[in-house]
Amino acid sequence: MKKAASTIKVYSTPVCPYCHMLKDYLKQKGVKFQDVDVSSDHEAAHEMIQKSGQMGVPQIEINGRIIVGFDKNAIDAELKKMS
Amino acid sequence: MYDTIIIGAGMAGLASAIYASRKKMKFEIISKEFGGNLMFSGEILNYPGVPKATGPEFRSIMERQMELNGIRVIEETVKAMEKSGGGFRVIAGKKTYDTKTIIIATGSIPRKLGIPGEEEFAMKGVTYCSVCDGPLFAGMDVAIVGGSNSALMAADSMKNIASRIYMIVRDDRLTGHEYLIENAKKNPKVKMIFNSEAKEITGEKLVSGIRYVQLGREKELKVKGVIIEIGKVPNTGLFRDLVNLDEHGHILIDCQCHTSVPGIFAAGDCASGHEYQYAISAGQGAMALLKAAAYIAEREGG
Repeated sequence: MKKAASTIKVYSTPVCPYCHMLKDYLKQKGVKFQDVDVSSDHEAAHEMIQKSGQMGVPQIEINGRIIVGFDKNAIDAELKKMS
Repeated sequence: MYDTIIIGAGMAGLASAIYASRKKMKFEIISKEFGGNLMFSGEILNYPGVPKATGPEFRSIMERQMELNGIRVIEETVKAMEKSGGGFRVIAGKKTYDTKTIIIATGSIPRKLGIPGEEEFAMKGVTYCSVCDGPLFAGMDVAIVGGSNSALMAADSMKNIASRIYMIVRDDRLTGHEYLIENAKKNPKVKMIFNSEAKEITGEKLVSGIRYVQLGREKELKVKGVIIEIGKVPNTGLFRDLVNLDEHGHILIDCQCHTSVPGIFAAGDCASGHEYQYAISAGQGAMALLKAAAYIAEREGG
């Protein structure tokens, strides 16, 4: 049985340029994602830091893996696995 | 043979490109990344013509302007540059560009402290961009290392976020724009620590403190974030043997953006203006391109 694709979560802050670039990139590819603003959602910020051990944005959670920063190659690789 | 190759796509390079495009010159603009430092500003209020914009908003404005002028940035890193024949050769990615002139607009990068813990805790509480990562320090105590404009702006951007803001300042006073100094002094969360040098950033998995020396005495602060704002370093290593640099590594230019080599021009943060402002980068980008065009016309018997 095919496993349902897990939700893609993007942790970002409002005025971070790489966060914008990452979200634009996903939108361009028609990829749906949950947009988590860690500047206002402190619990989510804490969750993000616990999961990755990194205090930086953007972070994207995809296929159970966390990618820190706008790393196109790593993101493309994960997106491929999902299709 | 290109008329010009523009190296760098921050404000200076993009301004050069606009002028090159509208003069119908044969050119390319090559940059590791589009946008440069303007992307990392929190709020830009002093750019003539744009009353108010965030870094990402400014980036969108520049993208639209490039589109309007039919300009496409080649996202590659320039690896080498040399004199060739009567002109120059630029190597970027797998391609070689032969060109009559070059405009260097490679900008600047944050200066590092060079202290223990700085590298180890990168992205684990140490940041050079309060605008990007600042929000993650909500309700925490942070230390800002630095005492001039960018440090003051960082303190301002953290005022509604952090719990306590310590400013570790090397000198005995702040340097920078008056309104920024005023804002910092009025801010009850800000504690200024003068005559101090940061020595080590400490912690386990994430930052938990910073050690510093003040007038010969070792002290420590418990902080969860360290924001390093001690100025900028020009991105000019690649050109060291080609054009003259000043003692800080900036490319020496005259008021018309000429470097020490005829046919090579420089603009913006990488050049010797020593004022890191978008308005200046834009102006110099335009000047550099116009002088490059004049140089070509003169040589071709105009």
